Amino acid sequence: MKPAPFAYVRAASIEDAVAALAASDGLAKVIAGGQSLVPMLNFRLVDVPLFVDINGIEGLSGVEETPGGGLRIGALTRHFELEASPLVRDRYPVLHEAMKHVAHLAIRNRGTIGGSLSHADPAAELPAMSVLLDANIAATGPTSKRSIAAQDFFEAPLTTVLAPDEIVTAVELPPLPAGAGWGFEEFSQRRGDFAVAGVAAVVEQDVARIAVFGVHDTPLRAVGAEQAFASGGVDSAVDALRSEIEPSDDLHGSADYRRHLAGVLCKRALEVASKRARA
Amino acid sequence: MMDRISISVTVNGTVHTAEVEPRLLLADFVRETLDLTGTHVGCEHGVCGACTILMNGDSVRSCLTLAVQADGAEVETVESLGDAENLGPLQKAFRDHHALQCGFCTPGMLMTATDMLRKYSLETDDDIRDGLSGNICRCTGYQHIVDAVRAARDERDGR
Amino acid sequence: MSPPDDIDLTRPKLVGAKVVRREDPRLLSGAGNYVADIKRHGMLHMAFRRSDHAHAAIRNIDTKAALALRGVVAVYTGGDIAEMANPYQATSRMKNYQATFIPPLAVGRVRYVGEAVVAVVAESRYVAEDALALIEIEYEPLVVLIDPEEALKPDALKLHDDLDSNILAEREFIRGEVDEAFENAAATAGERFHFTRTTPVTIEARAAVVEFDKGGRSLTLHCTTQIPGIVRDKLSEIFDLPGPRIRVIAPDVGGGFGGKTSLYSEEIVACAASRALEKPVKWVSDRMEDLMTTGHAFDEVVYADIAIAEDGAILGLKADVIGDVGAYSIYPWTATIEPVQVVSFMPGPYRIENYAARVRSVATNKTLTGAYRGVGRPISVFVMDRLLDMAARKIGMDPMEIRRRNLINDNEFPYKAASGLVWDKSAFQACLREAADGIGYDELRHEQQAARAEGRWVGIGVASYAELTGVGSRIAVAPGMPINTGTETCNVAIDSTGAVTASFGIASQGQGMETTLAQVVAEVLGVKVEDVDVILGDTSAVSHGTGTYASRGAVFGGGAGTLAAKAVREKIVRVAGHLLEAAEEDIETGDGNVWVKGTDRAMTVRDLARALYSDMGRVPKEMRDEIDNLEATKVYDPFFGTTTAATHMCLVEIDAETYKVEIGKYIVVEDCGRVINPMIADGQAHGGVAQGIGVALMEEVIHDDSGQVLTASLVDYVVPSAVEVPSMDVIHVEAELPGTIGGFRGLGEGGTIGAPACIANAISDALNPLGIEITEIPATPERLFRLIEAARNS
Repeated sequence: MKPAPFAYVRAASIEDAVAALAASDGLAKVIAGGQSLVPMLNFRLVDVPLFVDINGIEGLSGVEETPGGGLRIGALTRHFELEASPLVRDRYPVLHEAMKHVAHLAIRNRGTIGGSLSHADPAAELPAMSVLLDANIAATGPTSKRSIAAQDFFEAPLTTVLAPDEIVTAVELPPLPAGAGWGFEEFSQRRGDFAVAGVAAVVEQDVARIAVFGVHDTPLRAVGAEQAFASGGVDSAVDALRSEIEPSDDLHGSADYRRHLAGVLCKRALEVASKRARA
Repeated sequence: MMDRISISVTVNGTVHTAEVEPRLLLADFVRETLDLTGTHVGCEHGVCGACTILMNGDSVRSCLTLAVQADGAEVETVESLGDAENLGPLQKAFRDHHALQCGFCTPGMLMTATDMLRKYSLETDDDIRDGLSGNICRCTGYQHIVDAVRAARDERDGR
Repeated sequence: MSPPDDIDLTRPKLVGAKVVRREDPRLLSGAGNYVADIKRHGMLHMAFRRSDHAHAAIRNIDTKAALALRGVVAVYTGGDIAEMANPYQATSRMKNYQATFIPPLAVGRVRYVGEAVVAVVAESRYVAEDALALIEIEYEPLVVLIDPEEALKPDALKLHDDLDSNILAEREFIRGEVDEAFENAAATAGERFHFTRTTPVTIEARAAVVEFDKGGRSLTLHCTTQIPGIVRDKLSEIFDLPGPRIRVIAPDVGGGFGGKTSLYSEEIVACAASRALEKPVKWVSDRMEDLMTTGHAFDEVVYADIAIAEDGAILGLKADVIGDVGAYSIYPWTATIEPVQVVSFMPGPYRIENYAARVRSVATNKTLTGAYRGVGRPISVFVMDRLLDMAARKIGMDPMEIRRRNLINDNEFPYKAASGLVWDKSAFQACLREAADGIGYDELRHEQQAARAEGRWVGIGVASYAELTGVGSRIAVAPGMPINTGTETCNVAIDSTGAVTASFGIASQGQGMETTLAQVVAEVLGVKVEDVDVILGDTSAVSHGTGTYASRGAVFGGGAGTLAAKAVREKIVRVAGHLLEAAEEDIETGDGNVWVKGTDRAMTVRDLARALYSDMGRVPKEMRDEIDNLEATKVYDPFFGTTTAATHMCLVEIDAETYKVEIGKYIVVEDCGRVINPMIADGQAHGGVAQGIGVALMEEVIHDDSGQVLTASLVDYVVPSAVEVPSMDVIHVEAELPGTIGGFRGLGEGGTIGAPACIANAISDALNPLGIEITEIPATPERLFRLIEAARNS
């Protein structure tokens, strides 16, 4: 289990990195924390001739407040920085909670938010959080920069709308309404493993945002469940969620079990979130 | 072969420079290039935690880090915690509580515990178990490891 | 049985003390010496191209591109190795057993996914793996045998053309009147039980470094084995080399659990390559290789029935065991070891007079199964203790009570079990009693009632078992094998520097035997623990020894160590009597000193050694001629072995919505005889239970219909972390010491033997309101989901 040979360049700037990607005919890949990528290299599951390391790029890391009361999170911000950030804890307690579920400390010390979103694992926490929190994902390509709504970002398992020569540079989170409650529920058989199913919710009076992971081929905003919650409360939301997701079978759980779990976790998340919202 | 890259890494206080292939894993650099075999390789896909070391003070999986990515970094391995004649406090807590059997997962456990003890209050045994959950031990059933980390926490907190 | 030949209890008590481990300082500081740490001048690295077919004929292998790759030194196929190494197989005199040859590299046909087909030797592991990708193998797929119940049919395709069928072993046991017992039963219970396939997952995967000495034409194999002696003996035949020219060393080994008790293909190929290339060759298994090739565990289907009387007494037991043993009969244990132990131990610690059982070991297109912690007995106990609970429910009897009524009583020992095993006296009833007291059984039952009223699923599990440990020559571990597992050797020597070395044929994989055996030897000899250097796992240390497996280390090591230390102590006393001018019966030893009782006439053992070896004139020639040196080699044969008994109890709660099982309380009460080091004994129980929890709740090797191993990473083969293993209580009952030297019983496997049954019983108890009985493990949330859905829909 050793990686196949590849070439490696360190980018000094985003422009540098994008130029290197653009010059490779779409074959080169970005490496940041490497926590999802290097296992694939070790298993020789991916064949990449060139890696562009963006770890050395200045200014890509950190959590800062935005004028509207939201946060801007640099793409190279490590998971542990998010977990430990007082800004995140105070403004997005649901994200603070989610970070504790991301694998383990050693992975969180190294993994980055940009990497997690770009990797787009449908069972991972951060992609689901980006969808839940209506994040805008800033990306830079060779000729332009754009901001992509998280809900438009994920296309399929491990697939995003990013072009091969585009790099995520930051994630912007709009503020949550004051008084919103939150709930985060994740089920895995072993602590720190990818979710068999996960549901996160933000509730403000009758309005709920619900995001699910591990139960669909992308992280998903459960719009049907959100509407059902507004009209019929928690039980309706659960039923709606179970019919709108399309989980698949794998070794850790069948589609039927995942659908069942999604409902259970949705109920729990909404109940906790509603209680917190009232408090 | 792809071009080798020159790196300079400070490991346990000593600066090492080497020309390495980009694909060389940091775990292999530490073990094979520097002969620091205290760091163990257990899975090479980031699950078992045996290869955990500190990079710039943070615990990382050395099997999921390329050696070239450690260029300019300060790396600490189990060898930095104390030697056989003069064990450090955490190593001593492990010994006193019989927190190791075969010893293969132990270096990773120690480095993880070192980082945990710096970053978390570890109020309860559940917190300790949560913190250790990324390091697999097949021998001890974890109970004595939890005991050892709890003792190290108490020492840290002057309890 | 006669009382144990006991150590003089007046001397300082090292045996039984909580001595911190001697191996720890090096292991804690990164100074251990594991096989993967070994580096030699000019060392080459080996990697294997493995079969990605479960069953196929090999039509062609093209290695040209691999050989041409820069850095590649040699490439070997099965045909090449067949010319470098003699064929071997695991033979046995057991009736109805068919041995298979195990080609180190596949020849003509592959029989499981992961089977080694081509070996590449290169300047680095990285380059060796690059070369693997350049090898082209043309396969012609054959029908894949996945289901052992299909593979055993007479018309099934034969996996080995030269054999009569795929049934590698078949055996039947009958005792008493079983049919009559079932006719007279107040209640019966029966089921098809399935104990799925698991794999050991030592955190150190297997590894080998072979050094070839050009001058001496000899091979030294450093490898991660539990059985250096057995490996050495077989390699001597495979390579036509006399023993002294093959040395097998197991240095620090990172866990074994049975997975390292077999001779493996990679070790043979590495030896062949090193010999041919006259270079050191290293192979370190990666995790994917480990999950696919290290001997798998268990994998049995058991059709079993129990008959009980109105008072709960067991009237009869029937079992039909089908063991899926994979593609070949593993060396040296054979395809019989695991399935046959299932039926041998099925009656367990209970009084059962009528027992009928059949066992068949069936070859399939999967990885070989071998010994894994508990060997067969985790299944025996799972089936037996599940049946007991199921039957008890039918007559409205408490699980604890039905065990109390059926466990063999203290006055019934020695007890000959229905399968022919003989239990020597062990605390069967006391373990059950103390477990119930320790966990607060009656109180938990009350709490359970309250929890049920709230709609919570809380269950209490009980499992009792007995195992034979330290099995001597009378009952070879796997009957009929041409190896002797019934004796073990120890040499104790005080050299001319006065230092004590105790050398054993057993090996350590983390059990702490450098410490426990030093405790035993030091106590007998009268020196300090830290004065004894213990040598383990090196075939050059003693002339015969097999290794560490089957919970034998304490019994055999402790026994042989005691014998050898005693013999050396007698020599010390002899010499001291002369030097201190006293009668031998007045000489005492302790703490490294020798003295005349009640006087201040004393000397150190070190001075005594110098007087004997170096200061000619101090010890007369006649005495020197008589005692030769301060050294003795002794062989210990416990002949029968001894019984270790235990009861496990646990409390589980199942989330009534997610179906996740949480273990709230866990207690182990075991009788492992005299405890050498309580800290280490507790650790063995903790670790065994943790593995049993994995087996009960999460671990399973899964193949698809084409024989692909789907669980080829630690993401998909899930072993428990610190969160999934609860804190547990371990109580050692030292009832009456057994007849083994020192009074030791084996304890390494127990935790894994009891835990799956205990947890399965607790889950079944929790789900009793739904009428669910666990018959297949691991009881993953997915399996529970299906069972609960089915129960709710019916």
